[in-house]
Amino acid sequence: MFRTQEMEINMGPQHPSTHGVLRLKLRLDGERVVDSWPVIGYLHRGIEKLSESKEFIKITPFTDRMDYVCAMSGNLAYLGAVEKLCGIKVPEKAAYIRVIMVELNRIASHLLWLGTHALDIGAMSIFLYGFREREMILDLFEAYCGARLTYNAFRISGVPADLPPGWKEECTGFLKLFRQRHREYEQILTANRIWLKRTKDVGYMDAEHCLALSVTGPVLRAAGVARDLRKDEPYAIYDQLDFDIPVDDGCDTYARYIVRMAEMLQSVHMVEQCLEKMPSEGPLMGMKGRRMKPRKDEEIYFAIEGPRGEQGVYLISDGTDRPYRCKFRNSSFANLQALAPMVQGGLVADVVAIIGTLDIVLGDSDR
Amino acid sequence: MKLTRFIQKLILWELLVGMMVVIRNQFRPKVTVQYPKERIPLRPRFRGVPRLRYDPKTMEELCISCLLCEQICPDDCIAIKWEKAPSGKGRVLKDFIIDYQRCCLCGLCVDPCPTKPLTAIYMSHDYELAGSDRLDLVAGRTDLHEGRTVTIYDK
Amino acid sequence: METQMFITILISVVQISIVLSLVALSVPLLILMERKVIGFMQSRIGPKRVGPSGMLQTIADGLKLLLKEDIIPDRADKWVFRLAPMIVLVPAFVAFAVVPFSGTGLNVFGQRITPWVTDLNIGILFIIAISSVGVFGIILGGWASNSKYPLLGALRSAAQMVSYEVPLGLALVGGLMWAGTASMVGIVEAQREAHLWFFIPQVVGTVIYFMAGVAETNRAPFDLAEAETELVSGFHTEYSGMRFGLYFIAEYANMLIVAAVATTMFFGGWLRPFPNVSWLAFLDIFNFILPGQWGPFMSGLMWVIIKVSCFIFLYYWIRATFPRYRYDQLMSIGWKWLLPLALANIMGTGALLLWLGQTG
Ligand code: SF4
Ligand code: SF4
Repeated sequence: MFRTQEMEINMGPQHPSTHGVLRLKLRLDGERVVDSWPVIGYLHRGIEKLSESKEFIKITPFTDRMDYVCAMSGNLAYLGAVEKLCGIKVPEKAAYIRVIMVELNRIASHLLWLGTHALDIGAMSIFLYGFREREMILDLFEAYCGARLTYNAFRISGVPADLPPGWKEECTGFLKLFRQRHREYEQILTANRIWLKRTKDVGYMDAEHCLALSVTGPVLRAAGVARDLRKDEPYAIYDQLDFDIPVDDGCDTYARYIVRMAEMLQSVHMVEQCLEKMPSEGPLMGMKGRRMKPRKDEEIYFAIEGPRGEQGVYLISDGTDRPYRCKFRNSSFANLQALAPMVQGGLVADVVAIIGTLDIVLGDSDR
Repeated sequence: MKLTRFIQKLILWELLVGMMVVIRNQFRPKVTVQYPKERIPLRPRFRGVPRLRYDPKTMEELCISCLLCEQICPDDCIAIKWEKAPSGKGRVLKDFIIDYQRCCLCGLCVDPCPTKPLTAIYMSHDYELAGSDRLDLVAGRTDLHEGRTVTIYDK
Repeated sequence: METQMFITILISVVQISIVLSLVALSVPLLILMERKVIGFMQSRIGPKRVGPSGMLQTIADGLKLLLKEDIIPDRADKWVFRLAPMIVLVPAFVAFAVVPFSGTGLNVFGQRITPWVTDLNIGILFIIAISSVGVFGIILGGWASNSKYPLLGALRSAAQMVSYEVPLGLALVGGLMWAGTASMVGIVEAQREAHLWFFIPQVVGTVIYFMAGVAETNRAPFDLAEAETELVSGFHTEYSGMRFGLYFIAEYANMLIVAAVATTMFFGGWLRPFPNVSWLAFLDIFNFILPGQWGPFMSGLMWVIIKVSCFIFLYYWIRATFPRYRYDQLMSIGWKWLLPLALANIMGTGALLLWLGQTG
């Protein structure tokens, strides 16, 4: 007699489209996914434990290396937490520079997402177009802080340096160019029938499930929930900026695509406003010296809206200049939980689309 | 309206638009940099590996062995040897070692350096770090001043 | 009598070897062009290091593949594993036997040498039949690897090829009805007599044929059998060295075949555009440059090459732009759209021809 058998297949950790070192054990019935187990931890470096033995200032470079695609947001989340813990005020100009950098980084991160996501689904060129424009942002970062990937661009209580001469003009030029290029990406993908077929109704997850699994960021906003910490709990100078939160209620991969594409334009808009409103003079650092004196037994949680969702830092101090406990609430880790329910019942081809749409960074989830 | 949409769908309009975008990009300037032959020009603030420098006027050691950089380095990759100066005041630098294997190029060591405005330790523009031996990457004082010897690929 | 036969055989051998080497030589060129063209489209410059502006890159790659260790997985079905690449390669080359490369032959030493190896009266059928054999190679290769990703790739390609052979064949039927013959040479002659390329009355057929052809040759956006972001590299995941190279060559040879058939069937083969408009004769430039018999021969060859290149370019262009279809969507397009459309196209063509026949 013939007998059908389910096949167990290992996707990753070395696989062209698992975005780093995610390992996905899949049980397949033909091409259909019956079950899946994401296995993480291949990039675990013990950053949280390591942080407990370092002074506050020394932890910033680690935050670069968690979510290396949006290191600026990582820096900002951590420094924001430290500043909240120690009650340090950030000068206005520094806050503006921080927001400019973080928003540019959001564009860069979304460009990377767009490129890899489209490449996973098979559109080759847009991958390189995305990287081409991302490179310009990295050039801007290099001009500002000297690094292209692990920026370590901010310090406790402010930023180490002012924008270099000519930076503003370069940035404005880029933003102008980017708006054009953004239209081109949309022309290639948004109405493309193949793209629609591959993304519509793929990886469906409604708001209720998203919230139950603590999924945040564009994935949640694409499920119709307008949750954005920049508006809900404004930090830095976001309350002075005028921007919208793109929301879609498609709950699927296409809706997430639409939301992220719209977010890029919002970020461009924000950077333009910042460049305009930024005070030209003013202090850059809010405190002198490096001595940190947090109160004893203080616990704080501070979160910002990273490109992937809520990026939080939880600190417990014991009165010394090192954290007693440092916990990073990283969006990739939380969003990864949605992977298994999303791929259930889909095809193998959908798995890569869903990994792409969740936009996970394994360094972020493994820490 | 509906008819135009139908016709557009029929003649694969949006696919053609996408193809036109791709062809338009064919005529844009190429962005490839043929790395070992050409290099991207570095911005002035570029952070390569940290190095030491002399005072450009007097050609004397700028570093005053205050050990601040050693203390702030998150990876503990700086080691400084010093002696009391013969005059009894201040210190004399004996050796300065940076382990480039561990350096994360964070630039934190430059911040506290007290010999402002020209800091004794600075982030150089060297970024090609490769060696056939772990010890190759441990830079002593002369390396830090003169830079590591790099083999330049010129084929 | 004896000598005549001997000479005929000799001529055939010469023709075959010329065609074979032409195809084999054009494959590296195609690969290089693909990398260059797609590179340019993506703001890159493509291969650049080997030879002047990267011209020798594929040669170097080929050499590398030849010198590589030939790894056969332990648990593979050894014989089938070795056989499979050849099953793919041979039909891909054999199909060129009936492709006309130019219109007029050459007279060398009193012998007529035709620019096609043979002119079967069932040329089109021969190509379709032969190229479906190649599918077995892919399926067997994927199966024999005894590994999971290749198996998935083989499954996909089995389903895909079976469902796209049908619209592919049916799309050609419309053209055949216009031509009234299945001989490749006859088809082009029919287009000369009809004063038009069959592309014009057969737009639908051409589009269907091209889509099915892309699917047949496993190219984007229908490259599911080797979808590298999904199945690593599909059916040839376990292949290495020259066995992998054979699959690669076969893929490009198949592309050439699809392009050549499209050229012959719908775009007038070696004919220049509007072959009956006499003031356009200057387009056949070789007629004026080269003496005697060589002029028409080279002109025809030029047109074939130009038309085939356009198709190949279209292949690359599409690959650079589009995302990939999903397996089930691919099947539904094949069965729900292409097949009915192809059938409707045949009906329409039949009705049109009947009407034309009645009126004039
Ligand atoms: S750059 Fe950072 S890691 Fe390197 S020596 Fe300076 S402080 Fe240490
Ligand atoms: S901080 Fe500057 S002066 Fe002090 S030891 Fe380091 S390099 Fe020397």
